[in-house]
Amino acid sequence: RRTGEALRAFHTALRSSPGSARSQAMKEQAQGTMLKVLTSFKSSEIEQAVNSLDRNGVDLLMKYIYKGFEKPSENSSAILLQWHEKALAVGGLGSIIRVLTARKTV
Amino acid sequence: MAYHSFLLEPISCHAWNKDRTQIALCPNNHEVHIYRKDGAKWSKVHELKEHNGQVTGIDWAPESNRLVTCGTDRNAYVWTLKGNVWKPTLVILRINRAARCVKWSPKENKFAVGSGSRLISICYFEQENDWWVCKHIKKPIRSTVLSLDWHPNNVLLAAGSCDFKCRIFSAYIKEVEERPSPTPWGSKMPFGELMFESSSSCGWVHSICFSASGSRVAWVSHDSTLCLADAGRKMAVASLCTETLPLLAVTFITENSLVAAGHDCCPMLFTYEESQGALSFGGKLDVPKQSSQRGLTARERFQNLDKKASSDTANATLDTLHKNSISQISVLTGGKDKCSQFCTTGMDGGMSIWDVKSLESALKDLKIK
Repeated sequence: RRTGEALRAFHTALRSSPGSARSQAMKEQAQGTMLKVLTSFKSSEIEQAVNSLDRNGVDLLMKYIYKGFEKPSENSSAILLQWHEKALAVGGLGSIIRVLTARKTV
Repeated sequence: MAYHSFLLEPISCHAWNKDRTQIALCPNNHEVHIYRKDGAKWSKVHELKEHNGQVTGIDWAPESNRLVTCGTDRNAYVWTLKGNVWKPTLVILRINRAARCVKWSPKENKFAVGSGSRLISICYFEQENDWWVCKHIKKPIRSTVLSLDWHPNNVLLAAGSCDFKCRIFSAYIKEVEERPSPTPWGSKMPFGELMFESSSSCGWVHSICFSASGSRVAWVSHDSTLCLADAGRKMAVASLCTETLPLLAVTFITENSLVAAGHDCCPMLFTYEESQGALSFGGKLDVPKQSSQRGLTARERFQNLDKKASSDTANATLDTLHKNSISQISVLTGGKDKCSQFCTTGMDGGMSIWDVKSLESALKDLKIK
């Protein structure tokens, strides 16, 4: 089913995030993939996806959300704001602080 | 909880005397003011004026009743009470940046000063010259030392720095003490030896604290994390990414429980589960009494919408006791193993005393191990 696919794509994209990747090209590719996955979600499915993550997952998601804000495309900000609201509810302000203090960016 | 508003400006730092009848604090300037408890009031009894820069650290030695202060003027002074006057003695720290924190060692024969010079000055009294001298611990510190705490053996010193690391050094001074016996942090402790270094977190280490036994050290960083290194588990580090704004101060209240506070203006409980080597959040300790949630009239809703573009009924004012960030926590009674009262001071110029038993009965889900 479509929902299941989106969720699987979501987890896969997070898992294959290039952690300490040096190459900017790799990072940009991962960002692009992540953005595609995030925008493919229906608003009603976001909360469930966020709740399926552990603490590190929420922090990583928050990093990608802010990366997405940096390079807005048509309609991307609207769906990202919804993701932001749900991620904030779970990760708290601490998850945003860690986006600001992170030395390894996504 | 007893809250007293001392100032309208931040309290930069504070220290209590042995019997907790007097508190020395810096009112965000170059001075140290000492207040004495007078029934329910606090009266100012001394003003210590010697520093040429903001006083960044104060520590009050309980047994010898001496104060040590340090400031942005790159100096430290040891103060002794002669009659009813506090007399300062200058200590040359040999640093070229501001001093940021100071702590007496448990035996009060040494004190350590952390500074922006990226080193720690360990100061001790040289009898022959009637003068305080200091030795430096430099390597491998790469940035300002923001916080210090001594191990109960009077030799090991934990330091938190702006280079994102927590380290434990040996501050063994052969002139004033015997060789220390082995500890879980190591056996060889020549001066300056690095016994432990954490891997990088991503935030300045604001505050650091040894447990009462000294076998654990905890620290809080600017990336909203709380970490704990356990020498009993081969120095394994447990860390917790909190949901809060960065914490600025932390202390143990039992071997397994910590209280930390910071930019959320509210002290919080954290618990360390030794068997799993994990830290968990135990709850906020400042739960305001629920004021009756009255509904907004239609007119008030419209005004909110007009003024704040929000129909949210949530209060814009802080419900916590402290109305600004808490910058320091000190244990008042019970020690770090059985704390029964602790004190917080903050940027709102206020000082609050928290009673652990009252907190346990007021907040039913609170579990202090």
